[in-house]
Amino acid sequence: MYPAAIEEYVRPQTIAEALAAVGRFDEGDALFLAGGQSAMQAVKTRLLRPRCIVDLQAVAELRGVSVASSGVRIGATTTYAALAEESGLDGAYHAVRDAAARVGDRQVRNRGTIGGSLCWNYIAACMPPVSLALGMEMKLIGKGGERSLAAEDFLGGPLETEREDDEILVSLNLPVAPAATGSAYKKWGLVTDALPVIGVCAMLTLDGSGACASARVAVGGLGDGPRRSGAAESGLTGVSPGDSDAIAAALQAASDEIETQSDMWADSDYRKQLIRSLGAEVVASAFARAAN
Amino acid sequence: MKTTVNITINGESYEETIPNRLLLVDFIRDVAVQTGTHIGCTYEGVCGACTIQLDGAAVKSCLMLAVQADGHEITTVEGLADKGELTPLQVAFNEHHALQCGYCTPGILMNMDEFLKKNPDPTEDEIRHGLIGNLCRCTGYSHIVEAVKDAAKKSA
Repeated sequence: MYPAAIEEYVRPQTIAEALAAVGRFDEGDALFLAGGQSAMQAVKTRLLRPRCIVDLQAVAELRGVSVASSGVRIGATTTYAALAEESGLDGAYHAVRDAAARVGDRQVRNRGTIGGSLCWNYIAACMPPVSLALGMEMKLIGKGGERSLAAEDFLGGPLETEREDDEILVSLNLPVAPAATGSAYKKWGLVTDALPVIGVCAMLTLDGSGACASARVAVGGLGDGPRRSGAAESGLTGVSPGDSDAIAAALQAASDEIETQSDMWADSDYRKQLIRSLGAEVVASAFARAAN
Repeated sequence: MKTTVNITINGESYEETIPNRLLLVDFIRDVAVQTGTHIGCTYEGVCGACTIQLDGAAVKSCLMLAVQADGHEITTVEGLADKGELTPLQVAFNEHHALQCGYCTPGILMNMDEFLKKNPDPTEDEIRHGLIGNLCRCTGYSHIVEAVKDAAKKSA
């Protein structure tokens, strides 16, 4: 399909200009556009019919990754291609690179952005479970000022977030990672790099003996939206990397705990199997990265 | 409803007043009349035939509005050959019979041209991974992969 008529196109240079542009329209009539790799599809099918498009491409303060003593800041319009090659995200936050390197295809990764993906929160998106497992804080700016939401509070069910239509997602913020922390993300789809039927992300922090001191595990591809698995997180705590029975038990508990849907891509039991098998792979990778 | 844009395509600048909803691929094909860039999947963003380079990066031109390209430089398949001299990648496509009907070829060339600049010595796995965004329904990809490998070797 083709986009419906669009009355106005604006390309602000700053966040303030972007907010002012959206403020001239009624709620929902103006659309912030980042890379547009999901949003333009929705505009073409007319799921979205914006009167005005506010293109964020020229807002420099929204782009790029910075690693400082206070933590890591990922600008919302940083592309997947840039994230996949970002060495500042090695180790503790490597899961961002795992996910970014396998989203869609080269063309999509050249243009698609992490913030756009999180604001769209598509059921089969990779960044939502990554943001949950890593504990990203989403910084938003709107006419009422700034606010910061934890990924859990930002993400809702598929296509739902706490962001208001006239708010801009500015950055994803991560604290300085504790020492001996590693993360990994892996998805499975019907063909290589396809939208994930299930995606699993794990972040582990090790104690002095190399066992898991704390774990965060999140799953995407679920009908109810991405979520963490408390059962996997508590089951992995205290486990050493060689204890495959305990790891399997933790992931079994995760697949028991998480409600999975059946659809044309996979049935519910198959999704549970994917949670266990992908989970074992990402836990092994996260252990290895944490130990490095 | 309309915006005046200035978009450079293959070194030539096009200043036009266009509807905001016009997709970039249609600007390239219908306004600039550079018809090497193809539409394979009716603008669904899944076939890669409309792949062009935007400031050097391979992107799908059906997933952008033309107004978003205002002020940017676009290269299409017509812009690859220099004064009629084909690039090593184009020559390799010819020599390895990497096309049959040829419909997908412009998009694949624009993607692989950038891919080889970023990754001049790719493995077969990397080439296949790089081709995921381009559908070819004739070749089964084998000859395309061979051509990209050969182009990398000859450019080394």
